[in-house]
Amino acid sequence: MSNTSSYIRIDKVSRRYGAFKALDDVSLDISKEEFIAILGPSGSGKSTLLRLIAGLDRPTEGRIHFEGKDVTELAPHKRGIGMVFQEFLLFPHRTVRENLAFPLRMRNEAKAEIEERVEWVAGILSLSTMLDRYPSQLSGGQQQRVALGRGLVARPTLLLLDEPLANLDRELRQEMEIEIRRYQKQLGIPFIYVTHNQEEALSMSDRIAVINNGRLEALGERQAIYDHPQTPFVARFVGKSSKFQGVVQPDGATVRLARHDYEFALPPDKKFNPGDAVEIFVKNERFDISSKQDGGVGIPSTVVDVVLRGPFLEYVLETDRGDTVIAVKPKRNDPIPIRERVLLSWNPADCHIFKDGADDARR
Amino acid sequence: MQDANLQRRLILDIPTGFLLLFFVMPLAALVTLSFWQTENYKIVHEWTLMNYGTLATERAYITFFLRSLVMAIGVSVTLVALSWPIAYFIVRYGGRYRIIFSLLLVIPFLSGEVLRLIALQGMLGPAGLVNGALIRMGAAPLRMIMYSNAASFIAFIYLYLPLVVTTIYLSLINFDFRLAHAASACGANRFRIFTEVVWPLNLSGTIVGFMLAFIPTLSASLVPRFLGGPNGTLYGMSMAQQFGESGTWALGAAMGVVLFLFSAIALAILSYGVDLRRTGFTGLGRQ
Ligand SMILES: Nc1ncnc2c1ncn2[C@@H]1O[C@H](COP(=O)(O)OP(=O)(O)OP(=O)(O)O)[C@@H](O)[C@H]1O
Ligand SMILES: [Mg+2]
Repeated sequence: MSNTSSYIRIDKVSRRYGAFKALDDVSLDISKEEFIAILGPSGSGKSTLLRLIAGLDRPTEGRIHFEGKDVTELAPHKRGIGMVFQEFLLFPHRTVRENLAFPLRMRNEAKAEIEERVEWVAGILSLSTMLDRYPSQLSGGQQQRVALGRGLVARPTLLLLDEPLANLDRELRQEMEIEIRRYQKQLGIPFIYVTHNQEEALSMSDRIAVINNGRLEALGERQAIYDHPQTPFVARFVGKSSKFQGVVQPDGATVRLARHDYEFALPPDKKFNPGDAVEIFVKNERFDISSKQDGGVGIPSTVVDVVLRGPFLEYVLETDRGDTVIAVKPKRNDPIPIRERVLLSWNPADCHIFKDGADDARR
Repeated sequence: MQDANLQRRLILDIPTGFLLLFFVMPLAALVTLSFWQTENYKIVHEWTLMNYGTLATERAYITFFLRSLVMAIGVSVTLVALSWPIAYFIVRYGGRYRIIFSLLLVIPFLSGEVLRLIALQGMLGPAGLVNGALIRMGAAPLRMIMYSNAASFIAFIYLYLPLVVTTIYLSLINFDFRLAHAASACGANRFRIFTEVVWPLNLSGTIVGFMLAFIPTLSASLVPRFLGGPNGTLYGMSMAQQFGESGTWALGAAMGVVLFLFSAIALAILSYGVDLRRTGFTGLGRQ
């Protein structure tokens, strides 16, 4: 309440189901005009958090404030929110047009205004030709677009989106990502966007909140979350990376991999004790591949496959110990041929190192 | 091929035959009889509209009919109004006791209708539980509930309440209450959630409940006989008398046809007046 700059404040919120904690002591401040993504694996409590913000559920502990006002006990319809549900929840007895008009009618908008808004939202979601159909006459993706439209249509003061693009094909999804983002800028209201798709989170949001097992694992600018994960879970979950086990050497300044003949210097900001077991995460695009003949250092590996992914090449490598590692490099006209022997290494500043078992210790 | 054919015929023909034998045939017999005459306890095979003429002109029959119609509408509307909150409460707050609640609703059905009416007579009669207590306390007995239309009304409510509650309960238990959440997130208050989502999506179940009370009330004969008193004769009771004491079977048959037609009309109005799709009825499939 004291913090006036935060538009929405989630203050030490927990939600229990019996002994099970679906949400555990989550605090989050969201400012006006912010696009925040809630990222987490299935069952981590993302939808639970949205339902609490919407007022569809009450927290077991903690308070929720909108613009400094405590809304924890306030009914959903008094919160002025828009919401897109993961399960769509379209009204089966109403046509697409009526579903889209519903939030406007509930806000007692004028008839002309309602029509205009419905036309507008049907336009951007390519629903204009099916306005008179019932939800049961639509495909899954079409239903999802109606659900999205119903959330967008009414100029809410806060929009909650629960996996709104999960059922759309890639092209449409990218179009919608841009459209949603543009709409958010235009409205100037916070969007809270739940997804388990990290690419979506990274491409759309200003900030990302990562949750895991009901707890807030990380919160920060998307670039920071991506480049400087603070926990092993975030390192593993955000971006595509490979994990290695290692041991800090007696000098306290180098790490040696457990399964591979490769050593690298600890970055100066990382402090470990000699003998510590550590986990090392390297993003797939941060690997260096050097040819064996060059005589450098690295994990001896063989190129097993080369996959073209748009402007990138994905090298599938097999280390001499039999582990598979994927390294992503910009596309070249002369890719490293299959079966070539190479050395795999990385710049020590580009990898993320955690004490082994750090994830468990926090539970 | 042969087998499949046989199977199809069995599936189609057995129910068809059953319907013909036990529904269409008696109905045809009833309709035929209603165009004949009865004299001195004998059927006269002469085609005539006289029975219907009598029913349409004689004041007593018109009164009986209107009384039955008003009673049936009043009873069904009251029952729907009573059953909704009860069923809603069980579904929303019954928790794991829902099953027990719904079984409790069925218990009255375990005894026969006559038995239940006699029990009710004991409750409402001059020396019954209610009035007996009133008299013992030195108050005047409630005349209203002794052998009157009000007594019949109470009896109908008592008889059919479990039926209507069960029907609406079954409708509500299958209703996805997350839709109510969706409406509330769209800005609907409780009243509008109810009128825009909960009520329309349970309308078909409600109509079934309404009809389940309406049809038997319209043609009831036992309740008015036991509880209706001198001014409580209903159409069905009068019809039963035609077949019994008075021996005017043909007139009784005509009354039966009238009741059948009225129930059918009520059903038609309700089912054609309601666009099933607008009640979220999913039996139509995807189309
Ligand atoms: N009504 C409930 N009773 C008991 N447990 C529940 C209930 N609702 C949710 N949970 C549990 O709470 C946890 C979080 O659920 P939630 O729906 O928030 O997950 P989610 O992050 O949205 O997952 P997904 O990505 O699969 O949608 C899950 O483990 C779920 O089983
Ligand atoms: Mg979810």
